[in-house]
Amino acid sequence: MANHLSGFRNPWLQIAVSTVAVAISELFLKTGADATISLSPEWSWTGLTTLASPLVWLGIIFTIVSFITWLYAIKHLPLSVAFPASQAIHILVPLSSWLVLGEQISALRWCGIALVLCGLALVARPVAELEEKL
Amino acid sequence: MSPLVLVLILVSLVAFVAGQLLLKHGMASTVTGGFRQRTFLVFILTGTAAMAVSYFLNLGLLQRLDLSYLYPFQGLSVLFIAGAAALLLHEKLTLPLIAGSVLITAGVVLVSIS
Repeated sequence: MANHLSGFRNPWLQIAVSTVAVAISELFLKTGADATISLSPEWSWTGLTTLASPLVWLGIIFTIVSFITWLYAIKHLPLSVAFPASQAIHILVPLSSWLVLGEQISALRWCGIALVLCGLALVARPVAELEEKL
Repeated sequence: MSPLVLVLILVSLVAFVAGQLLLKHGMASTVTGGFRQRTFLVFILTGTAAMAVSYFLNLGLLQRLDLSYLYPFQGLSVLFIAGAAALLLHEKLTLPLIAGSVLITAGVVLVSIS
């Protein structure tokens, strides 16, 4: 089993790729949405005016990448393990918003990020046991 | 919060959890059966449809509510998915897994309200 799940088909790698792809897509979507904010205000509530930005299309491509890699990940992993692991997104998005977009992170938000990290560490233990069985 | 908004939040959550379970079941069927079979097609299509319903309900809700108000409800999806996977897909829940999911949920709520 471990043999044909090695390399790029490793489900943990797929979860990592999926999660990073979501973070990248959020950055593109936010930048693209900001760039098109003044386009026809009467239609902006649909969210569709953001499609005028090429960055939004890049964001959509990364969303599709994350969806497909997610499907491959849950093919082999229990959902009750894979889904909590994918919540690393709640660390990646605020961190990349801080580093790339220059957004501020409050003390309370840092605490929340720390809590998610602790939770991920706990989830990683059953994950390690599962790995031995694979 | 109006009753309609609460109902929409709940429907969106249920559709998201159902979508993940349907996708998981569909992908699990390909381990032995490959991709050219009915179970895979039916579950991937219904799963993607459920995810799309949840996605657009969420976009609609975002027009009326602040992201920081809506997001804690999404944080709950971790607990719902773990519970539903245990009940319906017979996945084994261990104590560290439950404790970890609760911590992650608490962290997500904290990140979104701050």
